[in-house]
Amino acid sequence: MVETKVLGTRWARVDALEKATGKAVFAGDLSMEGMTYAKLLFSDRPHARIVGVDTQDAEALPGVVAVLVAEDVPVNEYGLMENDEPVLCGDKVRSIGDKVALVIADTEKTAEGARDLISVEYKDLPVVSDPREAMTETAPRVHEERESNILVEYHVRKGDVEKALAESDVLVESLYFTPAAEHAYLQPEAGLGYIDRGGGIVVHTAGQWAHDDRRQIAHALDMPEDRIRVIYTPAGGAFGGREDISVQILLALAAWKTGRPVKMVWTREESVRGHHKRHPFYIRCRTGANRVGKLTAVETQLIADAGAYCSSSPAVLANAVLLCTGPYDIPNVKTDGYAVYTNNISSGAMRAFGAPQGLFAAELQMSKLAEKLRMDPLEFRARNVLVEGSTIATQTVVPAGVGVKRTLLELAEISEWQRGAETKLEPPTDLPSHKRWGVGVACGWKNVGYPFGFPEQCTAIAELYGDDEVGRVVIKCGAAEVGQGVITALAQIAAETLGVDPEMIEIMNDDTAVVPNAGSSSASRHVFMSGNAVHLACQEAKSLWDAGKRPAIVTKQYVPPPTSLYDEKTGKGVPNFSYGYGSQAVELEVDLETGEIALKKVYASHDVGKAINPQMIEGQIEGGVVMGQGWVLIEDFIQQEGYLKTKTLADYLVPTVKDAPDEIVSIVVEVEDPLGPFGARGVGEMPLMQLAPAIVDAIHDATGIWFDELPITAEKMLLALKEAAASR
Amino acid sequence: MWEDYLFPTTVEQALAILRDHRGEARIIAGGTDLILELENGERATNCLVDITRIPGLDGIELQDGYITLGANVTHAQVADSTLIQERATALAEGCQQVGGPQIRNIATVVGNVVSSQPAADATLPLLALDAEAEIADEEGTKWHALGTLFEGPGSSRVDSTAQMVTRLRFLPLSARQGSAYERFARRRALALPILAGAVVVETDATGKVFEGVRISLGPVAPVPFRARRTEKALRGSSTDGASIATKVHTVLKEAKPRTSILRASMEYRRELLPVLLRRGITRALQRARG
Amino acid sequence: MKRKLEMDVNGKRIVLEVEASAMLVDVLRDQLGLTGTKVGCREGECGACTVLVDGMAVNSCLVPALKVRGRRVETIEGLASEGQLHPLQEAFVERGAVQCGYCTPGMIMAAKALLDKNPHPNREETKSGLSGNLCRCTGYSKIIEAVEQVAGFGEVE
Repeated sequence: MVETKVLGTRWARVDALEKATGKAVFAGDLSMEGMTYAKLLFSDRPHARIVGVDTQDAEALPGVVAVLVAEDVPVNEYGLMENDEPVLCGDKVRSIGDKVALVIADTEKTAEGARDLISVEYKDLPVVSDPREAMTETAPRVHEERESNILVEYHVRKGDVEKALAESDVLVESLYFTPAAEHAYLQPEAGLGYIDRGGGIVVHTAGQWAHDDRRQIAHALDMPEDRIRVIYTPAGGAFGGREDISVQILLALAAWKTGRPVKMVWTREESVRGHHKRHPFYIRCRTGANRVGKLTAVETQLIADAGAYCSSSPAVLANAVLLCTGPYDIPNVKTDGYAVYTNNISSGAMRAFGAPQGLFAAELQMSKLAEKLRMDPLEFRARNVLVEGSTIATQTVVPAGVGVKRTLLELAEISEWQRGAETKLEPPTDLPSHKRWGVGVACGWKNVGYPFGFPEQCTAIAELYGDDEVGRVVIKCGAAEVGQGVITALAQIAAETLGVDPEMIEIMNDDTAVVPNAGSSSASRHVFMSGNAVHLACQEAKSLWDAGKRPAIVTKQYVPPPTSLYDEKTGKGVPNFSYGYGSQAVELEVDLETGEIALKKVYASHDVGKAINPQMIEGQIEGGVVMGQGWVLIEDFIQQEGYLKTKTLADYLVPTVKDAPDEIVSIVVEVEDPLGPFGARGVGEMPLMQLAPAIVDAIHDATGIWFDELPITAEKMLLALKEAAASR
Repeated sequence: MWEDYLFPTTVEQALAILRDHRGEARIIAGGTDLILELENGERATNCLVDITRIPGLDGIELQDGYITLGANVTHAQVADSTLIQERATALAEGCQQVGGPQIRNIATVVGNVVSSQPAADATLPLLALDAEAEIADEEGTKWHALGTLFEGPGSSRVDSTAQMVTRLRFLPLSARQGSAYERFARRRALALPILAGAVVVETDATGKVFEGVRISLGPVAPVPFRARRTEKALRGSSTDGASIATKVHTVLKEAKPRTSILRASMEYRRELLPVLLRRGITRALQRARG
Repeated sequence: MKRKLEMDVNGKRIVLEVEASAMLVDVLRDQLGLTGTKVGCREGECGACTVLVDGMAVNSCLVPALKVRGRRVETIEGLASEGQLHPLQEAFVERGAVQCGYCTPGMIMAAKALLDKNPHPNREETKSGLSGNLCRCTGYSKIIEAVEQVAGFGEVE
């Protein structure tokens, strides 16, 4: 491990001060002389043909500037991976989140009033809301031009799973379900669109990938990309929820059509309705092991609910198909995964992107096997984890820097985990008689960077200014700041590389006209990808500087080793160039009278390669753990027959400060990633990916009950306890 | 939404404004419920009559044997009041659990009563305390038993376009009396209850027998509910834990919780009812003895 | 209908005309340009809009602007004085209690109300004081640490 001066310090975030003083400008704070306001009309049906849209009364309302419908969009389609989503629906709607019309008016109140005057005639179509049903021949077709509702499928075949399972000493088979989730970032979608002096279109908003927003705007408006400019404000949280287009194309369209600046701010209800959710998954799993505790085979079938549109479903599914075996060395693997269209709100990116779902199944299989083998669950995992040189299910070698075992060992040490199936951690001595205490463990893995051949690169510019000594450094890199602290991390990396004070570094990251494409704030990739680009650009700039160049300006693109998608038949391929690994242990208490589950302590052990800023890493761990806790125990996204029941933050409950665990112990592990900058990998999503099975394992430890579905509310816990007591 | 916002300085003035507006004006105190209703298009009004500047309505007092709460008393004030903590503990506990601090700072206890929600956290303890509300209107002022004020969920007999509640009162608890508030919810703050209830008990001189029991529960009916059958079953019975644990099951015969998709099923609420009562009675008993 | 509103905002007497139906959060943000106070939900469920009225934390999205006539309103913009940060602001920055920053103004104002009334809250009291403010980024740990540091409990790293 390289000795570093700036990296590894708890340097205060560069943007914390402006945020703590209220000076930071968020998208909803933007305003401009002469601006108009836009309001969206959403579909009020989950699946219907649009017979007609009558905007006459709306247009006639005084103060209304324009009412835009499908016909007003030059190329009425967009999407991250496939252009299957209309900007404004013209012929049919496929979910309650579909957008039908956009009103632009002098005041927000007028726009709302006009929107309420638009009348749409729908002809209802049968609704399909379960992906298992949607897969069948006779299911209503969500996208009629396609042959089936199956959007994408992958198959992995390694070894001979049938034979290995038949020969296994122990076998566990289960059916798991993981639900949708709402990102619930505090800042609802907002933005400002306008035409600049040169006639170009500017969209000022918050998002995760400014350059890709620009690409999609340009496509929909049928314009060259250099006529579109996207400028980002810092996002008030994202967690994958700002990965898809929300207001961007609509603002560009509205500004272009009206010639006026247009502001749009979504209400919380519009936010919940208008953006994608975490993919629900149905996962059937059979796992075998031999009596000395070595895994022999894993067979998994995954069905993901893609919702109404493609979004990033192919990538989420591909991730889940890979990660659902767990981070283990398994000689025989058979996996079949399907992402299926339904009339639910579109599913898309959410923190950890297929890993929480896949690992829920994988890790509960491990916990159940450990129980059958009467082995310590941590020991059982340690016996099977990937190590340097292991071959994974895609029949290729896992990239060097395999830290999972280290995370388990450090977890065991710091939590004082005792060996043996009977005793793990010390239960509290003062536990009341109506409570049970339990402890559980799980580990996980997930890609750092874009997987499966998705084009991956990051470009950064390093500019060094000064006379003899470097006096000013400007780094230009389009890495979106969504709260994770990327601009601080990049400043530290630049400072370390150049050997200067980090206070000297200016990061510019927010304007497509100024900064190069860094890829998205997703896949826990920026420290690795942007860190590498910034590091290399700084290295080269420093060389130029040392050779006398004033100023020294270098543009550098970093491209990681190539990855590839699954072979259609065997699943063979190179899915990733880097992984993040983690292990977590959970201590909790179950109230036997009410079913309430209280998280007392969470130990989170995460391999980050090289800690750029330990304080920010702890922040990701603590935040990810509480978000994971919410998904397992509190949050409950309810959609029935395509209609939303949980519409706002009053209905969809996320953890408050009183719900968070009593204590979260962050264990930062550093197993160098040979490809990462200074050995660093990524961590943003990793604290979330294995918490669910760790909690379920702990609940089982406390009560003897396995839960194969989430969420686990107090009600479900109590009713399960009653059922278990009744059947004894 | 509303066109005017007025600040009367006396109750008479407030009533006069209401009269003059003929149903088009309504009382606002804290407003945390009302504002949301108005924004959702419910209870449309032309004029809000803000009573929070009327002097003399913000007191928590022990007077003529009663504890009285003025119309402008907030949940935060009640939760922080030593008088209430000592002499009507369940009410302090209930008020402490409404929403979050920002809501408690501004929402009034009277507002909680007028909201007529079956599981309102200030209303349930007040009901168990046999509280009364003084209503002022064109005909004068009159005290009403709290239980007579609820018409249906969200529907109060108090007509806020013509009347206002000026005070609440109840008898403080004394020797051998104790109270407690219990509440279950989907998370630990900012959440409506799955089930809530207030218990007021009185023991005999030996402390071994219940002389008085008052229980309010919600949501187990369209309005805040007094569990009179259960009260009767407990009255005169032993304060022994095993006896309580048996008797509380009477509540399942009279409370009729429903399934709410966002909070809990009927089945779960029925499981929780005896638990809530047992815990509430046990704590109330400790206070009666302490 | 427009009505006159007179109030004290961050120590300054403000007189302006507002719509009778305007909410305090919108008057602060749109008419006074004090955009530090944020809108997260408009239903009192997130606390992002928290300001202090006569020292009490309230959800400004649910307070009609006219309601605060004659009262003292404090927003995040008023905390730092003469270039000196409020100890809470310093602690939030130092302890890593700020990530995306959207909940931060409301959170700091709620924390201020808590500490102004109770300068040395125990852990339960601190959590209770912040229980009306959601944060989706931090998991709350470092927010609690920052508040406890100002309350004199925490160790400075």
